[in-house]
Amino acid sequence: MEKKGVEELIAKYNEGLADPAEIHELERLIEDGIVPLTALSNLSQLDDRMMAAPDAQPSMEVDSRFYAMLKEEQRKVSKSTFPFQWPEWSALAPRLALGMVLLIVGFAGGYWMIKPQEQNDVASLTREVTDLKEMVMLSLLEKESATDRLKAVSLTSEMSQASKKVTEALIKTLNEDGNVNVRLAALDALRPYVRESNVRESIIRSIANQSSPMVQVALAELMVELQEKKSIKELRKLLEEEATPNDVKQRIEESIQVII
Amino acid sequence: MITVRDGGLDRLGLLFERYKRPLYGFFYGMNRDQELSDDLVQNTFYRVMKYRHLFRGDGEFKTWLFHIARNVRHDHFRKDKIKGKDSVEDWEHKLGHSENKAEEMQHDEEHMMLNLAMDRLSPEKREVLLLSKYQEKKYKEIGEILGCTEGAVKVKVFRALQELKGVYEKLEKQM
Repeated sequence: MEKKGVEELIAKYNEGLADPAEIHELERLIEDGIVPLTALSNLSQLDDRMMAAPDAQPSMEVDSRFYAMLKEEQRKVSKSTFPFQWPEWSALAPRLALGMVLLIVGFAGGYWMIKPQEQNDVASLTREVTDLKEMVMLSLLEKESATDRLKAVSLTSEMSQASKKVTEALIKTLNEDGNVNVRLAALDALRPYVRESNVRESIIRSIANQSSPMVQVALAELMVELQEKKSIKELRKLLEEEATPNDVKQRIEESIQVII
Repeated sequence: MITVRDGGLDRLGLLFERYKRPLYGFFYGMNRDQELSDDLVQNTFYRVMKYRHLFRGDGEFKTWLFHIARNVRHDHFRKDKIKGKDSVEDWEHKLGHSENKAEEMQHDEEHMMLNLAMDRLSPEKREVLLLSKYQEKKYKEIGEILGCTEGAVKVKVFRALQELKGVYEKLEKQM
């Protein structure tokens, strides 16, 4: 709209002659900032009167309540403020670095000074415990009670590495113990040591000595597991034995077939 | 206000002294209830104190203050609406107040008429006129408070003034 047109519209409005469409147009001009509200003298008089109207006063109560509230808040703040202040980072950094270095040096020194002694202590303690377990195991194997002998065999599973003395005792048990369960337990206990050639050979030799079908089958299965060809000769000895039950013979034959 | 935010709580007293009247004027203009307006002024400053750390400092404190004031008022009436507050005491209070209006009239008939006319406007229109008065016609700031553009505020003020004028003229004829 041209400037003249705007002025005419304002004049018309101020005289109270503007129709709704013109008022709508005027609103658009006001929104776009083309017509300032102050130009509408018709309204601005009222506006000025409103601006000049004396303000109502809050009561004194508001003041006293506000200052009581402020005092309370100040008390809370001063209570919760901790007097300690962190020092500047620039001042703190070298101290922290020095602290860290000293800490690391301390740890490293301690580690190197204590380590050999500690290692010796631990090693000797482990040895002592193993010796003790071996002793208990060997003495238990001598007991008459099969339960004790089973306990002795199971003790070997707690040993990280059994000595030759222990494996020999286990082989002796496998060959000579009167109780089938103890013999089976001894065979089980020997499993971790089958890689040692002497243990392996002793087990193979033991095959022909076994009279219990359960132990015979367990041995045959172990041989299959190990794919031990040397055992075939011993297994065949069992087949030739008349005392060997037919079922066992069949299992042994199957095992031999697998090994071959 | 930035000093207040950063720990200078005692400076809040200065702000209170400077703004308690316009704030009260705004509330009183909206409600015509002295006691309630006192309470709302108190609540507004309570919020200013409580949320002082949220003042960003990139605008005028007065704009922020009136923004809070509007929220305080809205919260009050929302609560009232839930309670369905319309007790006899309230009515007594309002009636008692119209006697005060008669007194005021003797002193300043024109001012009284203006107040009466204002009371007959919708709350939205009354609010925009009161904000225009207490924000000293800074329409951009009012836009920030109301969440609209400067141009939209001007149109709102224009429409409110137009209606006010109509009501005022009617009252004049009745007198």
